[in-house]
Order: sequence, then C-alpha cells, then structure tokens
Amino acid sequence: MRIFFLSFVLFFLLGMSMGELYSQKFFPYEYEKFQLNNGFTAYLMPVKGSGLVAYYSIVRTGSRDEYEPGRSGIAHFFEHMMFRGTKRFPGPVYDKMMTEMGADANAYTTDDLTAYHMVIPNTYLEKIMDLESDRFMNLSYNELEFKTEAGAVYGEYRKNRTNPFSVLMEELQNLAFDYHTYKHTTMGFEADIKNMPNLYDHSKNFFQHYYRPENVVLLIVGDFDVLSAKALIQKYYSSWTPGYIPPQIQTEPPQQVERFKEVKYEGKTLPILWVAYKGDAFQPNDQMLAACSLLGDLAFGENSAIYKKLVIDEQKVQFLANWFPINRDPKLLNIYCMIKDEKDITYVREEIDRTTEKFKNELVEPLALENIKKRVRYSFLMDLDTPDNIAGNLARFVAVTGGLEELDTYYQRIDSVTLEDIKAAANKYFQTVRRTTILLKGENE
Amino acid sequence: MKNIFLVSLTAMMIFSFLFLNCQKPAEENVVLYPSPDDPTISFRIWIKVGSQNDPPGKAGLAALTADMLCEGGTQKHSYKEIVELLYPMAAEIQAQVDKEMTIIYGRVHKDNLNAYYEIFREVLLEPAFNEDDFQRLKTDRINFIENSLRYANDEELGKAALSEFIFSGTPYEHFTFGHLTDLRNMKVDDVKDFYHTYFHQRNIVIGLGGGYPSQFVSRLINDIKILPEGQPSLLPKIEVMNIDGIEVKIIEKPASATAISFGFPITVVRGQDDYYALAVANSWLGEHRNSSSHLYQVIREARGLNYGDYSYIEYFPNGGSLQFPPANVARRHQFFEIWIRPVPNEARLFAFRAALRELKDLVDNGMSEEEFELTRKFLKNYILHYAPTTMMKLGYAIDDKFYGISGSHLELFGQALEKLNVQQVNQAIKKHLQYQNLKVVFVTPDAEKLKYMLMNNLPSPINYPTPKSEQILQEDQEISVFPLEIHEDKIYIVPVQKMFE
Repeated sequence: MRIFFLSFVLFFLLGMSMGELYSQKFFPYEYEKFQLNNGFTAYLMPVKGSGLVAYYSIVRTGSRDEYEPGRSGIAHFFEHMMFRGTKRFPGPVYDKMMTEMGADANAYTTDDLTAYHMVIPNTYLEKIMDLESDRFMNLSYNELEFKTEAGAVYGEYRKNRTNPFSVLMEELQNLAFDYHTYKHTTMGFEADIKNMPNLYDHSKNFFQHYYRPENVVLLIVGDFDVLSAKALIQKYYSSWTPGYIPPQIQTEPPQQVERFKEVKYEGKTLPILWVAYKGDAFQPNDQMLAACSLLGDLAFGENSAIYKKLVIDEQKVQFLANWFPINRDPKLLNIYCMIKDEKDITYVREEIDRTTEKFKNELVEPLALENIKKRVRYSFLMDLDTPDNIAGNLARFVAVTGGLEELDTYYQRIDSVTLEDIKAAANKYFQTVRRTTILLKGENE
Repeated sequence: MKNIFLVSLTAMMIFSFLFLNCQKPAEENVVLYPSPDDPTISFRIWIKVGSQNDPPGKAGLAALTADMLCEGGTQKHSYKEIVELLYPMAAEIQAQVDKEMTIIYGRVHKDNLNAYYEIFREVLLEPAFNEDDFQRLKTDRINFIENSLRYANDEELGKAALSEFIFSGTPYEHFTFGHLTDLRNMKVDDVKDFYHTYFHQRNIVIGLGGGYPSQFVSRLINDIKILPEGQPSLLPKIEVMNIDGIEVKIIEKPASATAISFGFPITVVRGQDDYYALAVANSWLGEHRNSSSHLYQVIREARGLNYGDYSYIEYFPNGGSLQFPPANVARRHQFFEIWIRPVPNEARLFAFRAALRELKDLVDNGMSEEEFELTRKFLKNYILHYAPTTMMKLGYAIDDKFYGISGSHLELFGQALEKLNVQQVNQAIKKHLQYQNLKVVFVTPDAEKLKYMLMNNLPSPINYPTPKSEQILQEDQEISVFPLEIHEDKIYIVPVQKMFE
C-alpha cells in the first residue's frame, strides 16, 4: 500500500535531495491565497510546463452535513444535480461546452467534502471560470430532472451493493455512531435513497445553505498566470452572495462500551474482520494526532510484525490493511483484514489485540519510526507528479482545515514525532471502549 | 468563445511536448523517456508473453509467474526482506499481465535509485520461486476468482465472461488470471518452467524514463544479458469464430441488479487508418466514463436507469476504477464492446434493447456532420489526458512497439483528427461495426424468465418510479418492442459457480 493515509499532501520537490528536504519548509510550491469580500477563497499554485490546469472547487460539505432525519445521501445526490445546468448554460449546453474543451471533468462526494474537479488546456481557464461560477451561483433544474437523476443514484447504490465492503461500511458506521451524522455512509441509508425523488424542495434548501462562497474553496494548480487568474476570480465570483448556514450536527458522546456485530453478506466471500477505534477531530498542530497518523501503518502496515506474521509467514489472512483518515469531527481509525479460514477468526482477532497492547506497553524500534517518516516523504515526492495529482491530493486537507496554511505545521509535527509519542497515541486511541468491530461472513461460511 | 484555431494550435503544442519527446535508441529492445528534471525514475519492462501462452490445463500460469516475481522472494532476499527494503523508499515492484503482454514495473525517487534497482534486478533476473510464496499467491488467486470475481463485482464478472465467450476456442479464451481447476493443480515447477521458457533476452523490451543518469541505460542492458539469448516466441494463432446471429450467455446469480455486456470481434487495431475513424465514432457512441457518451445520455441521463453506459474498440480492463485507457494491454485481435452498468432487474431487457437500438442507428445512419465536429474537437483535447506521467508515456511507447507504429499512436491520433472527415468515419462504421451478429452476457437472477422473453421476442415495457417527458415515453414504446431474433439454442444459462471453474 504505497498510497496510504498521508498521501493527501503535496511533497513534490523537483531535483531536491532528502538532505535539503529536511532543512526546507515542508510545502515547497509557491502558492498565493486570494480572498474576495464575500468570503470566497482561492489558492493559486502555478506549476509550469504542462499546458494544463487542474481546477478544483472544494465544497466543505459532505454527508457529514446531512443532519436532518430522512435526508441522508443528499450531498452526494446533489453533486449529480450540479451537472444539470443553469438558465444561461442549460444541461445540454454545459455538456456540449465541456465536450468541446475535452475536459477531464468529474466530481466526488465523501463524508467531509464534495469536490468538482477538472483538467483542461490552460487556454480554457476563463471559459471554465465562467461556467463553474455560474453553476455554483445559479444552478437550475426542474422536478422532472431531479426525479430522473434519483434513478441514476439508486443505480450507483445497487452497483456498490454487490461489494461486501459497502455492506460492511454501512453496518460499521451505523453501529459506531448513535448521534453524529457519521452514522450513515456518503451514499446514505437505502430508505432515504429510495425516497430521494420526493426531496426536490429539500435539495433547493441544501443548495441555498451550503453552496455559498464562504463554504467553497477553489484550488487551481498548473500552467497558468496567477495575476490573470486573480482578475478572473474577481470578475466571475464577486457577485456570489454569502449566506452559509452551518449544519446542526449533534456531538457524539464518548463511547461507553465496546461494540460488536456479526453481519451476513448475501453472496460468497471470505470472512472480513474490521476493527475501528474512535479517533479525534483533526488539528494540524496536535502532536498526538501527528503520532496517530503514523501509528496505523507502524502497527499494521506491510512492514509491521503482524503483517509479516499473518500475511507472509502463516498465510492466515488474504490481506491486512489500515486506514487512519483525517476528519472534521471524531471518526474512525480502521484496521481490517480478510481471513482465509473461518476457524482462524478468533486467532486473528487476538493477534490484532496483542499488537495494540504491544504498542501501548512498549516503545517502537527507532529504525521503524525513521523508516515510516522516510516513507511518508518519499510517498509525497512520488505520488504528486501532475497538476491533477497535486490538487487531488490536497483537496481533503483543504476541506478539513479550510486551507493550505497549516500544512507545514502539520508536517513539522509529524517530523518531530518521538517513540514516546507513538506509545502515548496507542494508549489514547487503542482503548477497548473506543472500539467497534464488525465481522462480515458470506452466505456459505 | 476563444478562437478555436488558437485552441487547437495550443493543443497541438502541448501534444508535441507530451508525446514527441520519446527517444527510441538504436537498440531494438529499449524504449527511453529521459526527463532530467523529474526527481523519479520509472522502470517498465515488457516481456513478450501473456495468458495466450499458458499451456493446456494451466490457465493462469503467465499471471501467476509474474506474481511470483513481484510478490515472492529472490535468490538473495526473502519476500519479507524485500518488503522491508522497499518500505522506506515508498516504492513497489508490480506486475501486469494480459493476453499478449507481461509488464514488470516500478518507480523510485532518484535518492534511492541504486538500492531500488538492486532489488528490481533480482526480482526480474534472480527469482527464487519458493514453495511458500507460491502457495500464498496461488491461494490468493483462487480466492479472488472463487469469491470476489464471482460474487463481489458483477460488472467485471460480466466483462470477463464476455471476453471468454467472444474468444472461445482460441488461446485468448480463458480468463487471464486462470481457471480454478487449473490453478488448484498448478505446481511451483510449472512456474519455473514457464519463466525459463519465456524470460529470455529476445523476449524482453526495456522501458526506462524520468531523471536517470545517462550511464544507467547500459547498466540495465548489460544486466539483462544474464538471461539466455533465446529465440523469439512463436505467436499462437488466434482464429476467432464467426458469430451467427445473437448468442446470449446468462450467468445466473442472486442480485438486485443486472450487469450487461455485449460485443463482437473487430479486425482493426491501433496505427491503422480505420482505427482513428472508428475511434471518433466510438467516442461519440460511448466515451468511457464521460457524459459525452451517447449511450450514457440515452440510458442514464434521460432515463436514470443506471450509473453509466459506454462502448470500446479496444480491450479496457478495470473500467470501474480507470478514467483513461490503460497501457500495455495491447492485442493483435480486438473486440467491440458495449458496457451497460447494472440496471434494475426489471429493466434488463429494455436496457439491452435500448443500447442495441442505438448501435443499429449508428451503423445504419452514421454520424451527422455536427456530431462528428463536436467529437473531433473533444478528442483533440481529451487525448492530452491519456499519458500525463512518465510511466504512462513509457507504457504508450511500448504499445507503439507492439503495434509496429513508428512515431507514436497519440501523435497519429492527433494528426488523424486534423485530417478526418465525417464520410471517412461513417465508412469505417459501415466496415467494422454491425448489430446482427454479436454475443451478449447478462449477470442476473431468474435466468429462465429472461431466456423465455429473449427467444420469444416478448416486449419489455418500462415503468419508471418518476415521471418522464412525452418524447421519452414515445421512444420507450419503440425500444420496448425493438425486434430481437434469438434462437432458443443460442441462449445458454450458466450458474455463477460454474464460471471460471
């Protein structure tokens, strides 16, 4: 797993060696922050040479903001509606213009953000800004279009549903959270997706509340002129009226007891064991969170003792992986594996427990910590090699923290993580009362 | 609106930057893409062997051999040690196998070049073929087919089944990653034999790109010489059977939605004039994961029946995760394919009819001048996204070698787009596409009912949960009775547990 939990950050140093790398600030590219009076913020990062521009409109709203009962899935559904056009550029006209530009354009929604992204030849920058600002301000669709799109979204749900991991994630989030909106996945509860055709009015409200200049960050990376881009932003985004209304998300009280559920999957699969611990809201300047970001891969990554034991030596699991993402509110730190023989489930669970206990009680080897820090850096260096990859990998950090300013702080924190910090993070997060476990079994197991 | 001429000119300039830089040195078996400012080095080694070379009863051997190189130990290091060594570099060594090609590839930061290359060299040239590595990888592969492919991804299941159906009776037929009985019976000695038969100098093309030092190329070339010189492998003959009418395979499994794929063999490949004309038509009909796809507009956008609908004139694996065509799945024989993403079971026959009707319309009436111009404009810019990284540029250059293209495919594509006209495109459609003789795969429950409806050409009216415009409803009436002539004997029902057995 080369691309892992920290790969959301740019670390692309042309021709710079690791020796220099340590002494320089972490974020090497020059960028300019540009803010309008209405609160709209843009980060402009020129990377010359390709003739291409990556254009990311990052809405700091995802399924996390779906706090009203019966309304889960609307953020993702709404993302689909954003392609239906405006009065000035109706859907078919928008589509035709995008087609003419040969844009590599798409969008995605997750828990904490919705990103509308595209890569275009730089000659189209003004045209794109005209189109994008227009749909963010003046989106227009009728009820018929809305209802039709509901069919496509339900189709997406059906497509995902054949995957046991989709089934598992639904159950995991539902079990781990009682009050917070992380209780549902980004697709939403199935009943809510089915009911989506009836939520036309709600979708309009959603747009009014969240698609506002204070809640959207524009990130432009690539071969463009910053001065002209600023003038264009001024021209096209200044008339956007502020009016963001924050969602009323309930705080999840601390978990009191460990949670466990066995889930049946209607198909055949090897058993999947998923162990998740409650994490914390992301703070770039928090030493514990910096340590936590290394903890998952140190304890359960492919260079860990348990990986070598269970995957390579004993061959009891098909794979073992970890996923410790950053989130706006406390979410989950995940460890998961697929077990080859059902009779080994208990053994594998115990091995995972033994590993968390070991990290709580012992200091990790200094070489292991040094190696993971190197890996984090080289991962940045290597993964971010095109404007699209740079922007794409920054999007989550921008959405969670609101900008790029604290990137350096966070990476200085990571670089300063000590053996003791790792142990402290293990003691804080690997607590039984923070744990939710799902065991998924197939039909014939 | 910007000056279109200016835009095209700019596109061509970028185009040149992206694609004309590839150096092909005197050595016939080396492809280089030097980029001194790139802080990373990309390795891409093509071995001229693929699943078409799997011996009888050993389906999946080429793929397992490649796995054994990249996820097994070498004579100097165990697999565990290799993982340890690569970990701090954030580097990997990976394999990709298709019908005709095996690729071993990886990328590393230049700080770590020497340490990485030592491992890469061992992996390629000094594999250990340990029994425990073999058991681990063989079991992984069996589990993948038995569980994931059969039950967890109906779209890939349908596509893999269609490929087997179309190329039945040829060395292309069997699923690249194997069949279960063959995999279960496979021994580590099979892997050793396969490696020694095919991994020799004459079968290897070295691809190297990025910021490597100039002397590094000769080091790589010399190191490969440790392998026997060998003789070029004889290419197995692929004699694709003619399809007579519509043949249907229904893979029966419980599912709330139906995945559909259909197609037929075509003779046109990259580099030929007709390829580019056909590529324009195909882009209009079904550009992969792009809302410009006409099929997408008809089935998803107007009717909301599913998540997307696309068409292909080249093999395109992992369509669910890839946005652009992958490199190095080049083949001498290609097929035309339409991919209908899962639709509600009650809409399965309607969706198939809708797609077939659009294909018929394209074949009978061709593209309009306006559609052609729009698609041409689209592709001129869109192909700029195909090979953004050094690794992909190397991949495309290797494919150029496979297809015997001097210069580059993407360069030819750009030039062709400048010259093509709608008549040429419509001629290519008439010559290569048709709608009467094709093979279809449905992955769906209640197979007998579908069979009955297909063989009796029963209407498949559609009911939507939401209102639709009058125009759509009228068109739906035509779609629901679109004539299908399918003989009972040409509809085969296969339970999912028999697939890839």
